[in-house]
Amino acid sequence: MSTPLTGRQAIMLVARREFVTQVRSRSFVIGIVFTLVILAATAGVIVFVSSQTEGRTLGVTPDAAALGPVLEQVADQQGVALALDEVDSGTGRAQVGADELDALLSGGTGGYQLLYRDAVDSTLTPVVVAAAQQQALATALADAGVDPASLTAQAQVTPSTVEPVDPERGQQLAVALAGTFLLFMGLQYAAGVASGVVEEKQSRVVELLLATIKPWHLLTGKVLGIGAAGLLTMVILGAVAAGAAAALGLLTLPTAAVGMLVMVLVWYLIGFFLFAAVYAALGSTVSRQEELQSLIAPMVFIVIIPFILTLNLLPNDPRNPILAVLSFVPFLSQTVMPARYALGVAPLWEVALSALIAVVAIFLVVRVAARIYRNSILRTGARVSLLEALRSR
Amino acid sequence: MLEIGGLSKRFGSVQALDGVTFSVRPGEVFGFVGSNGAGKTTTMRIVLGVLSADAGEVRWQGRPVDADLRRRIGYMPEERGLYPKMKVGDQLRYLAQLHGLTAAEAGAAVEQWTERLGVSARLGDEVQKLSLGNQQRVQLSAALVHDPEVLVLDEPFSGLDPTAVEVMSSVLRDKAGTGVPVIFSSHQLELVERLCDRIGIISAGRMVATGSVEELRARDGRVVLDVEGPPPGWADGLTGVEVIASPGPATRLRLGQGTDDQQVLAAAVAAGPVHEFRRWRPPLTELYRDVVESSAPTAVPA
Repeated sequence: MSTPLTGRQAIMLVARREFVTQVRSRSFVIGIVFTLVILAATAGVIVFVSSQTEGRTLGVTPDAAALGPVLEQVADQQGVALALDEVDSGTGRAQVGADELDALLSGGTGGYQLLYRDAVDSTLTPVVVAAAQQQALATALADAGVDPASLTAQAQVTPSTVEPVDPERGQQLAVALAGTFLLFMGLQYAAGVASGVVEEKQSRVVELLLATIKPWHLLTGKVLGIGAAGLLTMVILGAVAAGAAAALGLLTLPTAAVGMLVMVLVWYLIGFFLFAAVYAALGSTVSRQEELQSLIAPMVFIVIIPFILTLNLLPNDPRNPILAVLSFVPFLSQTVMPARYALGVAPLWEVALSALIAVVAIFLVVRVAARIYRNSILRTGARVSLLEALRSR
Repeated sequence: MLEIGGLSKRFGSVQALDGVTFSVRPGEVFGFVGSNGAGKTTTMRIVLGVLSADAGEVRWQGRPVDADLRRRIGYMPEERGLYPKMKVGDQLRYLAQLHGLTAAEAGAAVEQWTERLGVSARLGDEVQKLSLGNQQRVQLSAALVHDPEVLVLDEPFSGLDPTAVEVMSSVLRDKAGTGVPVIFSSHQLELVERLCDRIGIISAGRMVATGSVEELRARDGRVVLDVEGPPPGWADGLTGVEVIASPGPATRLRLGQGTDDQQVLAAAVAAGPVHEFRRWRPPLTELYRDVVESSAPTAVPA
């Protein structure tokens, strides 16, 4: 009545069990919700901070009101959003104290006073200083019979860039960081392979399984099943995050976001297989979950370090040479390269080359890991040394 | 016939198995006994291909056991071997499918065996929530769901209450009744004696005796008698008779080769009234002790 399973059927059965177990577990849903909350909170903080720093309101007393037009002109030149509010001195003081005004300008030619609440604003002060100087200069020129307009015409400076200015740098950065974060979350699933392997070994169920299927089938099915659960998580998170950003009007670059999502999924798979193979090999050498933690601690660093470097260095310096090198190193590239791509500093051929290097690494790592797994999965008791596992038949 | 031929296995400096050879016929319940570390589990794991032997082979119906044949063996590993957090029903169906059953066949087999073993009410519970005894029943179900041609069970009775022991015994006998060879290991020698057709005793990696309890008793060919009635010391000095012990009111005698039991009876009657005169049939516990002691004349090397 029973017919022998083909290798593919065995792998599919194992993969389905792993996937269903992951997706049904409470931690799966909690993980997704938790990540979404963190993403939303981060986005909220960024929006809040940027709205705080955007515009400034300057109170101007009637005697200083003549400086108004010049102030507006200078603020415009310097890219500072400035609103003027004409108030009398007493009300103005009170409003500065109550944070309703950023500062109060009073006095007149020869003696302007700029009043802040408790800290001098390094953006607003130069605007006011420049305006006062400009007005003094204009008055002096007029007294000397020079037309201020002709002077302005002779002092024209037009800034430009070698490459066209990218008006979407901010968007790109947000997409890059969101993608990096998603990848970081997704790679956590690889550690699930280690604890899954140890669970089977600790409960001895592995003996029952290996009496009917081959170690290679069990390992492959496990990696595929857990990998698929991780992939589903990333798709859900990515779609929800992109959808929410679009709905709130924060995302004006839908194609860039979709491109990044595809990039993230591809790199997730590369990174996942690389890490899962190592985790499986490490897991197979111990017999109890407690022994596992110290063994996989170095792996956690390998995941975290490129993540931290990317978050800290890339926003201010997309062409950072260290990150450029790291984006080609297997085990690190899956975190660094997608962010560089999203910021537009890595062309597709660089991405493809890095991916190729990583795929070659996967083949090598999987071969070694499968050997270690096969040689140690049935050895219970003391931890199997990696060298021993590699040497034995 | 399941033939285990000349299995040897070395772990580092320890010779775990040294030419282990025995066979189990279809329909036979074979008890595998021996002290801890004697080699029972190692032998079973080699039969299941979970471990590879350094030498020797396992044959079923004349063919070496390969992956396809192993799939048709029901196996119960020592201790429990189930996913603690997986539901009983899901788990058994999964294992049945890994042995090649379709989803529908697996469902039916799981229902049948959990019903028979009295755990059908627990199909929706996680294994870790079951008592040890019930986990053991689930474990046996796992060995049976794919309708195996051979059963290999490592310590199936450990930790079971008397009711569960009865259920498990009757299942094993029934399986044997359908022509399946059943091997199981146990330290419960009374149970082995009651349940098994044949017994194999392993000691320090070697099979030191195989056969039915009767055959094991007949091994040294001498007769042991319990005689009750005559006063103590009545048999001292009889030729061809060795007094082994005096348990309670009776005297236990071992007769030398060729000693006539009728002469001994006559001597007993002459010494006093004889209330009981019977052949003593040593239980397996005694046979086991004798066999293991006589097979290890030298001290175990440190």
